[in-house]
Amino acid sequence: MPAAVGPRGRMSAKHALLGLLRERPAYGYQLGERLHERLGPAWAINSGHLYQTIKRMQREGLIERVDDAEHDRDDRHVYAVTGSGEAEFESWFERDVDSLQLVRRPLLVKIVLAGPERLEDSLKQIDAYERGCADRLKELSRERDEIPDEDLRVRADYVLLRLGLSADISHLKAELGWARHAREMVSWLLNQDAIWPGVRRRLDSSSPAAAHARQSAREELFGRIAHRRLRPMPDRSDRDRDG
Amino acid sequence: MLRLEKISKRYSRPDGDRVALDDLSLELKRGQIMGIFGPSGSGKTTLLRIAAGLQQPDSGIVTYDGECLGRMSGSERTRFRRREIACVWASQSWQERLSVRDHVTLPLLVDRCGRRSAERRAREALLACEAERCIGMELHELSDGERQRVAIARALITEPQLLLADGPASSLSLVEQEGIMVLLSSLARQARVAVLITDSNAEALLLADPILYLRDGKLINPEPMSERGRVYRFPSVRPRHAAADA
Repeated sequence: MPAAVGPRGRMSAKHALLGLLRERPAYGYQLGERLHERLGPAWAINSGHLYQTIKRMQREGLIERVDDAEHDRDDRHVYAVTGSGEAEFESWFERDVDSLQLVRRPLLVKIVLAGPERLEDSLKQIDAYERGCADRLKELSRERDEIPDEDLRVRADYVLLRLGLSADISHLKAELGWARHAREMVSWLLNQDAIWPGVRRRLDSSSPAAAHARQSAREELFGRIAHRRLRPMPDRSDRDRDG
Repeated sequence: MLRLEKISKRYSRPDGDRVALDDLSLELKRGQIMGIFGPSGSGKTTLLRIAAGLQQPDSGIVTYDGECLGRMSGSERTRFRRREIACVWASQSWQERLSVRDHVTLPLLVDRCGRRSAERRAREALLACEAERCIGMELHELSDGERQRVAIARALITEPQLLLADGPASSLSLVEQEGIMVLLSSLARQARVAVLITDSNAEALLLADPILYLRDGKLINPEPMSERGRVYRFPSVRPRHAAADA
């Protein structure tokens, strides 16, 4: 059975698309739009990836074309769920949701690998990350606020949309909190006379040529020492002369 | 490379004998960098002086690749020491007006090496120890970190097989300490020199493996001590501490 979670720990769009098509048949472009509208900005999908997924689902027999006569343009194939697609969706729905996949943060990789010399650079990266998260947070909060309040009857779609956005919003808030913590830790570390075990220090402010000269001097000298063995003790006559 | 077997040493004092080393044995291999950590007065310096052949133990044997120091005559021992063993001491009484160049070349000049080739080798050793900018200075002009780098360069100029260092990094800042330890550990790894370092501060022994603890003239190897100063890894991938080579 194909994995529901893609290689980067993200859920593939397959079951979401199946679920949307179960509600009503649609053509490809519509599907992409609906995915975004119903599940939120994290589900924005590029058309290449979308059509690829649709083709694959069609090959697997999960969906089929049900073109109506009035759409004769080639790219306007309308798709609907097949019986085996229904079954696949049901069995996916029954399964427990995997517990949260931990996120791989490129920013953390940069901070960890920056080493003592580039710590200041990673501060800049943290700032940029914080700004990015804050902008995104503002955007999503605005989107959430734009969903109209129900007046007479509760609209389930509005409630669910708010729910989806609030997931992204709390995620961004957590990221902002972490970024602030990262900035504090890195700035603190900058002012410490810290030990960096295992970090190969690039030689202090010296040119690459000087660093190279040091390296080759070290290799030369250390190589000579490595190939030397204990010098044999001189024989007795030498010793007498020396003594 | 270096083998100490059942070494004991006491100092007699007006208030009674003091045990410096008590039936102590250790073996140091080529390419190994062993750290000995202990409070002051625990016998660290006596241990190094005996390992260097500068002091005789009351009992026990010191051998270098099977050569026994105790069986050599005084002049043989001196010669052997000069060629194979290098020492870096924590407090060195240096002639402060001497130039770094003269100070580093001295061991070679004593060994009747020509001045020009001695200076070439001094430059190389200083470069290898990242202290080449000191070559034109006098000893009193050096910072603590430079002083230790110069001392190590001077120790290496005779291309020794064994390096004994008594608190080489103890008076330095953490960053300089680490620089010295990186240098010494690459000396062990690349030059296959056996390195024995002592310090009263375990943090300064950062890259040594194993780190042993000396107390009241006896060596103990407590697991937690040798775990200190190791690179922190996430718990799930942290390797079990490898047992020290026998």
